[in-house]
Order: sequence, then C-alpha cells, then structure tokens
Amino acid sequence: MRHLLPLLVALPLLGAALLVATGRRLPRVAVEITGFTVCGGTAALALVLLLNSAPPLTEWVGAWPPAGRESVGILVVGDGPALGMATLASLLTLAALAYSWRYFDAPPHGHTGAYTALMLVFQGAMCGFALAGDLFNAFVFFELMSVVAYALTGYRIDEAKAVQGALTFGIVNSLGAYALLMGIALLYARTGELAMARIGHGLDAAGPGGPDALVLASFVLVLTGLLVKAAAVPFHFWLPDAHAVAPTPVCMLLSGVMVELGAYGVWRVYGTVFAGPGGIPAADLTRALVTLGALTAVTGAVMCWYQRHIKRLLAYSTVAHTGLFLVGLGVLTPEADDGVALYLLGHAGVKAALFACAGALLDRFGSVDEHSLHGRGRPLRATGVMCAVGALGLAGLPPFGTALGKAVAEEAVGGPLTVVYVAASAITAGAVLRVTARVFLGLGPRPRDAEYETSGSHEEPETTGLLSRVPDTMTTVPAVLLAAALAMGVVPGFGALVARSVGPAGSGGAHWTAHGVLLGVASTALAVALAGLAVTRPDWTAAPGWAAPLRRLQSGHVGDYVAWLLVGTTVLGALALPGVLGS
Amino acid sequence: MNRLRLWLLAVGGAGLAALLVAACLDLPGFGGDRHPYGDRAVHASLLRHTANTVASVNFDQRAYDTLGEMSILFAAVLGCVVLLRQARDEHRAPPEPAGVARPVRRYALLVLPVALVTGLYVIAHGQLSPGGGFQGGVVAATALHLLYLGADYGALERVRPLGVYETTDALATGAYLVLGLAPVLAGTAFLANTLLPYGTFNTLSSGGTVPLLNAAIGMEVASAAVVLLAHFLDQAVEIEEEHGS
Repeated sequence: MRHLLPLLVALPLLGAALLVATGRRLPRVAVEITGFTVCGGTAALALVLLLNSAPPLTEWVGAWPPAGRESVGILVVGDGPALGMATLASLLTLAALAYSWRYFDAPPHGHTGAYTALMLVFQGAMCGFALAGDLFNAFVFFELMSVVAYALTGYRIDEAKAVQGALTFGIVNSLGAYALLMGIALLYARTGELAMARIGHGLDAAGPGGPDALVLASFVLVLTGLLVKAAAVPFHFWLPDAHAVAPTPVCMLLSGVMVELGAYGVWRVYGTVFAGPGGIPAADLTRALVTLGALTAVTGAVMCWYQRHIKRLLAYSTVAHTGLFLVGLGVLTPEADDGVALYLLGHAGVKAALFACAGALLDRFGSVDEHSLHGRGRPLRATGVMCAVGALGLAGLPPFGTALGKAVAEEAVGGPLTVVYVAASAITAGAVLRVTARVFLGLGPRPRDAEYETSGSHEEPETTGLLSRVPDTMTTVPAVLLAAALAMGVVPGFGALVARSVGPAGSGGAHWTAHGVLLGVASTALAVALAGLAVTRPDWTAAPGWAAPLRRLQSGHVGDYVAWLLVGTTVLGALALPGVLGS
Repeated sequence: MNRLRLWLLAVGGAGLAALLVAACLDLPGFGGDRHPYGDRAVHASLLRHTANTVASVNFDQRAYDTLGEMSILFAAVLGCVVLLRQARDEHRAPPEPAGVARPVRRYALLVLPVALVTGLYVIAHGQLSPGGGFQGGVVAATALHLLYLGADYGALERVRPLGVYETTDALATGAYLVLGLAPVLAGTAFLANTLLPYGTFNTLSSGGTVPLLNAAIGMEVASAAVVLLAHFLDQAVEIEEEHGS
C-alpha cells in the first residue's frame, strides 16, 4: 500500500504529459474525458489510501530506507492530515474540471489539452506538497504549485488586469519561495539533513541550550515562505489581485485548497522540525501565529465588507478565514487542530461553491459588480439560492461542516479569540448575504455609483460570448459542493473520523455542543442583521474614513507588496525573538 | 505612498539583514571536514556504480526531487504556451530577412555542429563526468539558435518544427514517469533503481536506471528550452500589436 503514495503525484503528471503529447490531435471532448478520468482516478486512490492511513504510511521513494538512522532518500508521509489534504485537493480539482466542462473559452489554438494539463499538474503538485516528509521536496512541490498557479491565473491574456494579477502573484510568491529555500539552506548547514523529522532531531542534538540566531532565522524564513502562500497579513496583498482575475475554476482551487496548504505547511513544519527543545518554544509560535492570524482575520473581514467586486469580496473572505485557521493552529492543542481541519474542509466546499456562483454571474452578465448587477440576478434562481446557502455556511450556521469545525476551534482557542472567530465569520458572511439580497432579490435602493477602482463591471466573460442560460454543470457543481459541506456536519461520526485522522492523540472527536451551536447561530444572526442593515440603510454601512487608508494599502503596486513582505519577515522575527533571548 | 514604501522597505530590509547577519555568525566554519550528507551520498553512489555522485543524487537518491524539477520546467513551457499565445489584438508578421556579417555567419555555422555534439556528449556522459541531462540539454538547445545568429529567423524556424519539440517534451516527461512507475509494478518503491544491473563502474552503461533517467531529462530540457525560447522570440520578432486598436 505504501508504495502507492507517490502515485498521487505521478498519475496526474502522466495524464498531463499524455494530454500535451496528443492534445493537438484530440477533440476537446476526448481531452476533457481523459482529464476527468485521470483526476478522478487519483482522487479515488487518495481516498483509499486515506482510509488505510492508520497507522500512518511512510515510504522512502527510490527504495533508500535508512541505514541505521540515516538515509539519502526522500521520505513521503501518508498520515491522516497529508492524505486528507491530498484527497481534498484532488476532489476540488475534479469539481473545477467538471465546472469547466465544455464551457471554458476556447483553449490556445493547437493546444486543446493545455488547460486540462495545467489543472492536472496543479493537482499533482498539491498532492506532492501535502505528502512531503522532506523539507527540500516540499519546496520543490511548493514551486511547482506556484508555477502552475501563475500560468492559470494569467490565463485570460487579453485582459491587462489578468496579466497584472498573475505577475504580482508570481513576484510575491517567488520571493516567498526564495525565503523558504534560504531557510532550508540554514537548517541544512546546521544539521546536514533534509528530512523534516531528521532536521528536528538534528536541532535538538545541536542545541541542548535552546535555539540560537540561526534557528530563529531559519524559522522566520521558512515561515515567511509558507505564510506568503497562506496569505497572512502582511503577506496577503497578492491574493485579492490574483483571485479577482483568475478564471473561476482556478479560483475554486486557489481559495479552496492552495492557500490552505500554506497553513497546513506551517502546521507540518512546526510540528516536525521546530517543536523540539532545540527549536522554537511553543509560546513564541503561539504569539507569532495568533497575532498574525488575528490581524489577518480582522483585515480580511473589514476589506471583504467594503468590496463591490464580488470575486474580490470572496478573495478577502478567504484571507479572513485563513487568519482564523492560523489562530486555531497557533494555540497548539489537539482540539484546535481537529476544529481547524474540519473548518478547513467545510470552508473549501462553501468557498468553491460561492466562486462557482460568481462565475455564473460573470458568464451570464459580463459583470461581477454588486452595484451594476442590482436586481439583474432574479432569473438565476438556483444560483441565488446557492449563494444564500453558501453565505449561511460561511457564517457557520449549524449543521454545516464549517459550523462544527468553527465551534470546536472556538472552544479550543477560548476567550477573546472566540470574538474574532464570530466577528470574522459574521462579517464575511454578511457581505455575501448583502450581495445575494441585492443581486438576486433586488432588495433595497440601487446603490449610488461612486468612483471606484475595482468595481468589477465590464468584465470579459470566460465563455465564448455571454451565456443566455447557465449550463447545468455550473449549477450542479456548486450544489454538490454545498451538499458536501453540509454533510460534513450532519453525517454522524464524520467529526470523530476527522479528529482520528488528524492525530492519534486527538481530543476524542469533534462533536456538537450547545455552546458551539449557540455561537454558530449567533454569528449567523449577526451576519443576517449586518446584511439587512447594509441593504436597507446603505449610508450607515458606507466605508468610514478610517477604512480608506486600509484600502489604499492594496495599491496594486508590486513594490509596495515586496516592501510589506520584508516588514512581515521582520515582524515575524520580532514576535519569535523572546524565546531565543530567553534561552 | 512613495515615502511610505521607502520607509517600509528600510525597516523590513534592516530587520531581515540583521537576522541574516546574526544567522551567518552561527553557521559552521568554512572549510570544515564535517559533511554528513556528502559522505553518505558518495557512499551510496559508489554502491550503485555511479561515478558522478551528483548524477547519483539527481537520478537515484533524490530522483523524486528531479521529477518535481522536471515538472516545473514542463509546467513553465505549458504556461508559456498559454500566456504567450497570440492575443486578440495582435497579428503575426514574418520578419524580413536581415543581412549577417560574413565572419559572424561563418563562425556560427562552424560552431553549431560542435556545440550540438558537445551538448549530446554532456548528456550521454552524465553519470560519469560533470554535466548531465539538465546542462547538456541546454547546450544542445542553444546550439540550434546559432542558426538565428548565423542566418535568420526563417532558417531557425525551418529546423524548429515547434509541434515536434512540444510532443518530445511531453514524451520525455512521460518516459521519466514510466521509468519511475516500472518498479512500483515490480512491487518496490517509486523510482527505485533496482531493476537494471549496475554495470561496470565508470562505463557508459553503469548505474542502473541513472543513464535512462538522465537521457529523459536531457530530451526534456533540450526540447523545453527550444519551445520556451521560441515563444519569447516569437513575441519579439513575429507577433506585433495591431495598430489603431
């Protein structure tokens, strides 16, 4: 069974190679069926491996098992979280491919298979990153994931915004990758090892007195790379610019799982490399992650509320939720890990579904502007209903999977951090509900049109011309995703299953509590109230003066984003410094 | 905004610089004799009769990393095909043949076959001497472009049927993957170098699957470099923006 682990990477890559080799001769239907089969087969394999992942599967690729305690090979780890992320990535790729089934604008001339092949490589890269037990190997797949994502983001080259967004994405993420590589080099210089667990042992052996500046620097650099991917404040600026312009099926993957893989990477690397006595003390990690996570959640939520470009709005909601995940992971308790895992799964379904709904609007009306679409969405009843249901899922209304995960995480983080959870989920969900009420129901007065840089009107649809009706695939896929997010909270034992997969030392299972249900209902009520207020009294919820500078920070200027990245690295160093000084 | 950016850059840069300087002071001293990974890699490479340890690391011990790196190149080519395609407001204009100075032409046509053979040699001897698929592939691909210097773009295009190179790129990637999957079918680990005999040390056929993987990479890199350069050159030479749009 363990020999099959690397196949999660090899199969999609082989499918992509096949599609590129034969793509020019195949009709489009054949390309899409091939892509669907390969992607689905890999997803099935991931699921089978996941169900057999207790005890965790480990494989030395290239058959180089350790001689004594040392090995020259590469370790691939198939434990619950790794295979869970791989399964999630595969299933979401499948959903994205189904969503783009036959609708997506004509592929480059003579390269029919290019789009599907890129999606398959993306799937393979995400699986590879999730399974990596070797830090350098994780970096390689981190890079592969990035390269494919840049190309997919800029896919619609006829729009200057798409090219700009992809370029920003590329520059900021490449800098993150360099930071990660530099961190790996420092760790290698200290320990002479690349396998994560061995680096951890090496640090403990080398520094019984506790961490020194080298350990701190490597921690900061590695985390910078991963947090850029996870779009934590102040590394997050690339995300809204990229997500607003990427094709909808790509957004489903970027927001649903790629960004979350950054958070997963933080969890994996800290737990395996830096958690020992020679690493970074737990208190410092908690300080760093909880501070940055809370800041991310608040910034994301505020920015989300003041958007009228629907895809940008959803992008900021992803920023807010990743902040919540980082807070949960930062407190370092098994209960919080269980909660975050469930929350992440539910969020993937809900967020991908919401992006799918936004894509339907884009292709039907050529606009994703909340104001200019006012009332025009009435004919798209199914999409409207799904948008509303998705918003409720985002708010954490029981019995959605998001609600269960959020409740468990809230209980684990406790205190004022619970307020952050409730507020961030309520505000982002309120924004989506507001959009739903205005666009699909035409409620409230038509908002006055102010001068606005990123309104989202006059966008090019992704289809060949505007659609006269929304095809079935574009309504079925979000419906299935929402149903899955709901099932995660409803199916008895799912929470316990996830908790068991996350760690054998788990909390004994994630289950509903009265306290959690109450908080979920409260954030939903808050979201509905906010949306109602925004629709009926638009003046009350207009952007106040203090939000304007925050919005101006998102300048679109790559130089600003790079400067913020450096600041973020320094802040991360300062937050983790006390542990090094104290030892 | 400009001033804010400079301030941020100064603060962030200073912090990062301080961090890196402090880390560098803790690095092991230069020229020490402790190379834990190097010693293990050399030992493992001799075990498999691979004379070039770097090739053994690339195509045997850490062949899975190489798979990822090869895929990055493959994805970059695919990304270029997608991003550098002809946009709606662009058209193609075949470039005018341009005159080439005689010494340049003579030099280019003389060096071209030499460079091509050197590239192929570097690929073929990857497991024995410094070099290998990555390096040799780039040398071989650049050799073709001497035709652009020595003659003109039209001449280069005639020896560069892009479709063939794109297909070769994909087939080479596929070949690497199939070589990796074969051991799985035989019941051992992905990319295990255990199916073929290791041969005599320091001969062309030594190292088990190392020469095969190396050749696949050479093929992949050579065709990928040709396709990448072709798309960038097309943008520079052939594709023009429509006027008045």
